[in-house]
Parts: sequence; structure tokens; C-alpha cells
Amino acid sequence: MRLPGADGRLDWLQALRLPEQTLAWSLADWQRVVRLARRMRLLARLACALDEAGLLPQLPVPVQRHLRGEQQLSRTRIAAVLWAMERVGTVLAATPWPRVLLKGAAYIGQDLPIARGRLPSDLDILVPREHLAACQAALQAAGWQPPEMDAHDQAHYDEYGHEVPPMQHALHDMELDLHHNILPPRNGVLLPVERLLARAQPSRFAGWLVFQPVDQVLHSAAHLFNDSAVRDRVRDLVDMDGLLRQFGSTPDFWPALVARARELELAEPLGLALPLCAQWLQTPVPAQALAALQPAGPGRPARALLLWLFAQALLPDEPDVGPTLAQRLATKLLFVRFHLRRLPLRRLLPHVWHKLRKLQQGPAVPAAGRELAQPIHPPADAPAEPPVSPPAAPAAPPR
Amino acid sequence: MTSTPLPTGGPTLTATARDRVVDALRGDGLWLDLGAATWRVQSDSGVFADQLRTVYGGFPFQPSGDWADLHCEIVRPAGLRRWLRPQVIFRCDGQHPFEPFPADSPLPLYEWGGNWLAASRLNHLLLLHAGALERDGLALVLPAMPGSGKSTLTAALSRRGWRLLSDEFGAYDPVQGELRAMLKPVALKNQSIEVIRRFAPEAVMGPAIPRTRKGTVAHLAPDDAAIAARGRGARPGAVILPKWVADAPLQLEPIPGQMLFSAVAFNAFNYRVLGRTGFDAVVQIAQRCPGWRLTYSRLDDAVAALDQLWPEVQAHHRRQEAA
Repeated sequence: MRLPGADGRLDWLQALRLPEQTLAWSLADWQRVVRLARRMRLLARLACALDEAGLLPQLPVPVQRHLRGEQQLSRTRIAAVLWAMERVGTVLAATPWPRVLLKGAAYIGQDLPIARGRLPSDLDILVPREHLAACQAALQAAGWQPPEMDAHDQAHYDEYGHEVPPMQHALHDMELDLHHNILPPRNGVLLPVERLLARAQPSRFAGWLVFQPVDQVLHSAAHLFNDSAVRDRVRDLVDMDGLLRQFGSTPDFWPALVARARELELAEPLGLALPLCAQWLQTPVPAQALAALQPAGPGRPARALLLWLFAQALLPDEPDVGPTLAQRLATKLLFVRFHLRRLPLRRLLPHVWHKLRKLQQGPAVPAAGRELAQPIHPPADAPAEPPVSPPAAPAAPPR
Repeated sequence: MTSTPLPTGGPTLTATARDRVVDALRGDGLWLDLGAATWRVQSDSGVFADQLRTVYGGFPFQPSGDWADLHCEIVRPAGLRRWLRPQVIFRCDGQHPFEPFPADSPLPLYEWGGNWLAASRLNHLLLLHAGALERDGLALVLPAMPGSGKSTLTAALSRRGWRLLSDEFGAYDPVQGELRAMLKPVALKNQSIEVIRRFAPEAVMGPAIPRTRKGTVAHLAPDDAAIAARGRGARPGAVILPKWVADAPLQLEPIPGQMLFSAVAFNAFNYRVLGRTGFDAVVQIAQRCPGWRLTYSRLDDAVAALDQLWPEVQAHHRRQEAA
């Protein structure tokens, strides 16, 4: 099946691997790509690829400025995540082994090409569930504070979550996500994370493990295709493409990947990820792997529909154009699907009711009106900055 | 890096018929080259077109372009809010990171939203939270300290022979070692509005907009000379930490370099993001520039004192170059 988006409008993503092709781009081409890539959190990655190829000086000057600026932002964010990793590692040194770096932190922990130019805003780590309380206590004693939360939300996290609420530290411009699993429970059952832990490997940082490569691919796929919001997440596919290119040539990688997906009941997210990677990013995926992940019988058209919905929702909309009707519809349907799958209706309805009531009682954001604009949800690529206007209105000098 | 060529010729926004400005904003947008960065703005609000035409009136009318550094929209949301207590929202590349504003005051939303956008996206520059003005090729930097009256003093100087570079962003280019213009209008708050109206009755000012979080705000349009020269940067000349104190006599005290360093660095929007580049840039500014604390109660006195001081600053830089 030919997916939406396989029509050339994602060609710019190839420049992440083949930066030379940007030399043919006009300033107007660059204008589109700079805007798209920034929104997809891929601008610094593109900058790093061009920098490594020595091509930055050949680009139009205004483009260079944005690429270098974003690259600098990425350096700062990576330095911040490395520092947090180092401090958290020290705090957890006395708690029981093991501990694992997840997602971006894991890619940094292996110095993969996809680690370059990231803009981490949180540090994701995993410890076995039986050590969770001890780790949480140690971190809290060291200044990592949980957010304020009411009893309902706390219970919801405990029962339906796979991590503790994100923690913050006064000295770190970085959120800490402490996980005990890579996925929330599905139909009340947690993924057997001990099997992933059993195969975990050392990272380049003492005291930190990473999952084995096939498990990293599966984690990335599971994370993307089991989320409530997939718009502007094409970077997750770029990550998977990077992992598959990095490890795909090792003997037995592909059969092992497919077998592991079945074992962990992650054949669906992997079966969605691989065709998208192959069609959008030209990832070299063996036909056997694609075929092996196709469901048989009546599951087949359902999967095709799901794949189409995800393709619509993941396809970056063009600057100044915005999402099409199909894209908006697909995004909404996937949102509903996520919530129906995550919680049984008898739990979902009270949860929605609670959220609505909270919204009514006191809005989390200041009411509209003649108020100074403050970011409601600053995009993650904009870490905490000093206020744009002075913290206190300067006393005006009367004459 | 060279500065982007400025659009030459062509009518200004003021000289362009209102309908054409409205149409441009509804269409591909207006390109506003403010010196260090080009903004592209689109809007379906006629009120916004009017306010923009007032405070950006001296800028060329440029309804197309290949490149803008920042893209934003001021739009009236669809639905009930279009009619019932109508609002405008600020959008940039599909995001709308701010609370809406009432539809009759889109300009402060555009200005504040644009500041936020610039502060988070122009990381090739060290963005000092400071007023900046140029005279004889050297820039006067006025870091924003609470209660400093930075904007008021910046506005006053800009009406007395100093070329306005910026009120909010001292946009320092670490490659060129220069402050670049970021020629947004000067945002005046509360009593400062009346103070500047009396100080410079001929100056163009946008409407006074009451009840923002900062109180009443009005925007002072940069003058034509500043607009014409916005492509030209200026080496940092001196750092002045202004302080307005009621009834205080005018006072200029020299301050040591380490104080300048902290006043400049820890007030910058993206000092931490720039890492070593930011540190080196601020060290450079603090080493090269003499600095003073200026205490004043009367604007005229402050302007006169800085006029008098400037030959000394120039001499300082000549000695430094000779050495």
C-alpha cells in the first residue's frame, strides 16, 4: 500500500543522511525546511549532519544562522542531560542495581549518530519496579521533587502508569522521568520488562545500561504507536530509521527483531513502524520482515486502516497550510482509540469527569483578558528563559 | 556573516494605502526587516493593520519575500469568540503559545509574542535584556534592572540625537563583535507614556492600551533615521546602569568590570544557551567598555550627562585601539 506522504514532500528528511543534497536547495526551499525541521525538532540534527560534512559555510547566510543557533541550543541541552545523568547516577549509586537509560539518553549513552543534535528536555531512566520506591526516595532526598498532584491523579499514575510523575530539581533545567516499565499496562497486564532487563547492555557511562538494539527499536515503536498524540512526531520515525540502519546489518538482527516483537506482543507497533520507515525514509527493511508482521485474515484490512490513520496523523503539515481534514480526523480518531484501549469505559468516564470538573473549578492557565502574554505551554525546544519583559514593571520617572 | 541587504526604495507602510496593508496581511503577509532579524507577519485583523501601520509606519511596505527569520500570525479565532467579547491569538508555525488578547489590542500581543519568539529562536546572537543606542559608531548599552526606567531613558535618548538600536534586545553578534539593530518599537508603560509624550510631543506613538499585566502600555515608533540605518551595527561603547530615584541629584559613578559582567550576562535572555560563546562575548564587552551607574530624577539631566560623557567614551576606545 502506498502511504500518504510517499509523494516526495518528505524528501527533505533524506538530507539528514545525505546532506550534500541541500546544496541544490533554493532559499525558498530552505525557508520551508527550516520551519518544518524546527517544528519536528530535527533542525539541530540537520545542522549537525551539515556541519559534519563541512557544508555549513556553503549555505545561505540566514540559513547558517538558524542552523548554528539551533546547534548551540542542542549542545546546551545535551550538556544539561549529561549533567543530570551524572548527578542522578551518583544519587542512585547506593540503590539496588540495575538502572537503564531510555530513548534519547540511551542514544547519547551509545554515541549513536541519532544522538547528535537532540534537544532533550527530560531524562528518561528505568529501574525494576521492586526498587522504584527506594530510588524515588533517594532522588527526593537529593532534591528531585515530584509535582503537586491531587489524590485522583496520583492513584491514576500508580494504577495506569509505567513511571512516577516527572520530577524536577532546582539546579537542573531537566525533568526526570523515572520508569518501571516501557509501556503502561495493557488490559491490566504490564509488559514483562524483566526480559528486557535480562538482555540489557553497558552504555558508555559507568553505572548505566541500555537495552539491546532490538529492544530499543521496539521501545521506540511502542512509545510512538501507543501514545495519545502523534502529530509532529516524525522524529520518532527518524530515530527508528537511525537504529535500523545502525544495527540492521548485524547478522540475524531482523529475524531477532520480529521474534522479539511477537514475544513481547509488540508486533503491531513494529508492523506500523517498519512500512512508514521504509516508505518515508527509505529505510532498508527486508521484505520478509514486512511480510512476517502482516496480520492474517480479518486483521489485515484493520491494520491497513490503522497504518493509513497513523500516516495521516504523522505526516508533517506544510507551513502556512496546516493539517488537512483527513489529518485532523485521523488525529482525533487515534486519540479516541488510545483512550479506549488504555482504560475500560467504566474507568475512562469517571476519569474524564474528574478532568472536566478540575477544568471548571480553576483553570490551570490564567483567564483570558488583558493579561501580558505568557507561554501556556512553551515548546520543549524553548527551555526556561528569563522573562521576556522585566520581572517588575520599572517605576516610570515622572519629571 | 554579512548583514542581509535591506529592501531599498518602495513606499513605507504609512505611505501605503490602508487597504493594501490589510490585503497583504491577509495574504502572504508583511516582511519587516528590523535589522538583526526579519519578521513575517500575517493577520486577519483590521485593528492590527492600523496599529502596525502606526508604530511600524516608517518601515518599507514589503508584501513578499524569500526569507524571514520568524513567522507569526495575529488571528481572530473562529467560532463564538469571533462575535462575543472578540479576541485575537498569536500563532507561530502552528503553535499558539499564549493566552488570547482582546481583539481591540492586538499590538501588545504581537510585540510580546514576538519578543518571546526572538528570545527563543535567535541563538546565533547573544540577546542582552538591554536598551541599545548608537552614537559616532559606538553603542551605549542600558541593561534592564528592575526599576531602572530603561525603556523611558532609551526612548528619550532616541529623540535627542542617539540612534535607536533596540529597546528590549541588545542583539550582540559575537562573530562581528557588534550590537545589531532590533528595531521594534519602544514599549512604554504607565506614567512613562505621558513622560515621553511631554518630552517629545512630535514622536509617533501607538494607542495607549490599558489593563495589561504590565499596566497601560503604548509603543513609540522608531524614527526614520534609525530605520534607514538599521542594517548597520555598532561596537559596544559603554554600559550604563540607569536608576531613577525621585528627586535625586544626577550622579554618575564608575563601576568595575566584574559588576558590568554580571549586569550584562545574568540579564541576557540566552546567556546560558550560548555557553562558552556567551561567556566570551560578555567578557569582551566588560573588558572593552567603561561602565557607570547613572542615578537621575530628571530625563533632561540624564540625557545631558550622557551627551557630556560620550567624548570620554570615544577617547577610551581610541586609547584602547592605539594600545
